[in-house]
Amino acid sequence: MEGEQSGLRFRRQQALETLRKTADGRRPRLARPQFLIAFLVVFGALAFLGYNAFNASSMYYLSVGELLARGETSSGDELRVSGKVVEGTIQRGPEANAVRFTMADENGPSVPVVYRGVVPDTFQEGGQVVVEGGLGPEGVFRARTLLAKCPSKYEPEESKQT
Amino acid sequence: MPHLGYAAILTGFVIAAYTAVASFVAARSRVGELWLSARNGVYAAFGLTTVASGALLYGLLTHDFSIKYVAEYTSRSQSPVYNVAAWWAGLEGSLLFWAWLLSLFAVVVLIQSRRNNRELIPYVSAVNMALLAYFLGMMGFALNPFETLPVAPADGMGLNPLLDNPGMLFHPTSLYMGYVGFTIPFAFAIAALISGRLGDDWIRASRRWTLFAWFALGLGNLFGAQWAYTVLGWGGYWGWDPVENAAFMPWLVGTAYLHSVMIQQRRGMLKVWNILLIIITFSLCLFGTMVTRSGILSSVHAFSSGSAGPLFLALLTAVAAGSLSLLWLRLRALRSENQLDSLVSRESSFLLNNLLLVGAAFAIFWGSVFPLLSEAVRGVKTTVGPPFFQEVTGPIFLALLLLMGICPLIGWRKASAENLARNFLLPLGVGVATAVLLLALGMRPFFAALAFAVLAFVAASILLEFYRGVRARHRGRGENYAIAVPRLIWANKPRYGGYIVHVGVILIALGVVGSQMFATNAEATVKPGETIQIRNYVLTYRGLTSYTEGNKEIVAATLDVQRGGQSLGSVVTSKSFAAGREEPRTDVAIRSDPREDLYTILSGWSEDGTASFKVLVNPLVMWIWVGGAVLLLGTAIAFWPDARAEARLPVPERVPAKGMRPSHA
Repeated sequence: MEGEQSGLRFRRQQALETLRKTADGRRPRLARPQFLIAFLVVFGALAFLGYNAFNASSMYYLSVGELLARGETSSGDELRVSGKVVEGTIQRGPEANAVRFTMADENGPSVPVVYRGVVPDTFQEGGQVVVEGGLGPEGVFRARTLLAKCPSKYEPEESKQT
Repeated sequence: MPHLGYAAILTGFVIAAYTAVASFVAARSRVGELWLSARNGVYAAFGLTTVASGALLYGLLTHDFSIKYVAEYTSRSQSPVYNVAAWWAGLEGSLLFWAWLLSLFAVVVLIQSRRNNRELIPYVSAVNMALLAYFLGMMGFALNPFETLPVAPADGMGLNPLLDNPGMLFHPTSLYMGYVGFTIPFAFAIAALISGRLGDDWIRASRRWTLFAWFALGLGNLFGAQWAYTVLGWGGYWGWDPVENAAFMPWLVGTAYLHSVMIQQRRGMLKVWNILLIIITFSLCLFGTMVTRSGILSSVHAFSSGSAGPLFLALLTAVAAGSLSLLWLRLRALRSENQLDSLVSRESSFLLNNLLLVGAAFAIFWGSVFPLLSEAVRGVKTTVGPPFFQEVTGPIFLALLLLMGICPLIGWRKASAENLARNFLLPLGVGVATAVLLLALGMRPFFAALAFAVLAFVAASILLEFYRGVRARHRGRGENYAIAVPRLIWANKPRYGGYIVHVGVILIALGVVGSQMFATNAEATVKPGETIQIRNYVLTYRGLTSYTEGNKEIVAATLDVQRGGQSLGSVVTSKSFAAGREEPRTDVAIRSDPREDLYTILSGWSEDGTASFKVLVNPLVMWIWVGGAVLLLGTAIAFWPDARAEARLPVPERVPAKGMRPSHA
């Protein structure tokens, strides 16, 4: 009984709404052409922005194996490579802010890397690392950016337990 | 204790699942007793997640290392505060934290709406409890925070030293409050769709939840930025990392939602769009949680991968597919009551603001998931770096700021020429004058001068609004100006609170433009007594000291700072090595004033005392944090119960449906 009543009220409300619309003389319809044009302009501008920026900054993201398969990179061609720092290969110096290490895929090929700059705190032997830069003629990867992902940052490695 | 906690999770799962079904059936059948039982189910679920959380906290604080989670995230030497923070530091614990927040919010919703929204609330509860059941189920059957170790280790591993920062207390908690908070408006939208009550009730009922979630998410991002800035030691506060983006996207779409519901309330338009926006916002919250926990996007922040990824993907798919099909079914009932009259109107400017916000979120989404897409489509992984995000979002955000100045001043329906002239001449003049002045003073690039001009324009337009309101009170009621300002704000809190939020955004934008466009940095290796020059600063390196503090060994470098020949004292930057930890922790030196930050990082040293530094000058960064505080103030004002907003509430139904009167139990 009560449910029926509120259902009725709901239906009456809907009817009232429809009435109001017709009284206004216009039923809602698709937007007018000027809005369509404005929409297309905005959308086009966004797409253009995205396309331009994308061309300017897209970068290949490779494993060490894929990097070696590509070989030496032309200057100015930035690559992003991820891998693991091989245990016992991190060498600091000779310059105070330089670091050299070997980076490898999981049980795979490896490449020497040289980087100058601020080393993130999470950079360590055996840790995951992402470098951006290019492969030089002597087979050394010159990194301009060094990002380190520490496996124990949130989730400790299984092997480290007990 | 671990057994109690686990039992609470399993019981909670059963109860939440039952309550979800019972609430739904009660809503459909209008059986009062069932709804009564479902209400009790919500309280019981909250009780059980609280017991589970209590059991975990007890384990964390009493060093019960037989619990794997406790052994992984706490240690005996760690301070109790961070042992508590371990609750949300790891995957399993953060799920429990999430579930606890959700059950808490579900209870608050029930208490808030004892008198109104009787038709919606059972469905809202059903959605909340279904989600809660899923989270508890995840913990119960796959990611148990109470998993025990066969042999309890003597000491735990402790949090990573980088997490040993007050940021760990505020950043994750406010992000989670934002993520979970958006569940409530989402649940209201779903309730509106299922019940067919598609008017403004659901929007009005969930307005403050939206505001709360939106603000918590924004604050979480700001805390994260500040943490990164002061601790991670790369001189920046935002790196466009996928995980950062994942927390930013729901905030952007949530901002769009927050604005577009105003159009629905005033003009009965954009109904489908609003529901779509809140569905997207909530889905992006889940997406963000998934990204942090699954490792599908390569990020420096990610948790390790595991079973969490597929579980979240399943949830995300179910939520998105389910709510979109519901929306599809109700499409006819969501007809707009009005249509746009003119391109030059408040409605249009809101619509444009929406398009831009969603566009920015989409661009960021695209950039974040592109590596996955390109690998799937072309077989080569391709990424886009920070320049992509900066170049795309920079102009979009500038346009949004401009709209922020225009929207509140432009008339509804169709703005007249007088309206435009009266409202815009002054702010426009201020903006143009700023641009001319800055360019004449030699500011380059052009984009920066343009950005500052836009900020000046917006600031002037907000000031003008305040001035008009105050003048009206002064003339009408004879109040003096000092009294009229707070009274004006208090008389219409949502409106003026909103303006104050806009002021906060302007300040944040000021800091972002200043530091993004004009930051300089220098790297140098110097011997004691040698100097580093950057801008008009001269830093003289005094030497290294090393000492032990607690279980940490610290190497610190001292530098004397001069600016323009004037001594500003000295700064100390250091690296500390905690015993038993491989990775060092860098403590940067930040010398901050309203004009700029001098940011010094010790990057390395050798035996002879030679040290390498990276020094940055970041202009105007302080205003980002000041803007955050203003944001807090504005949101609090908009959030405060408002007599006029209350008066606008629909009168509660005098005769509630008979079967639906369970609340006095």
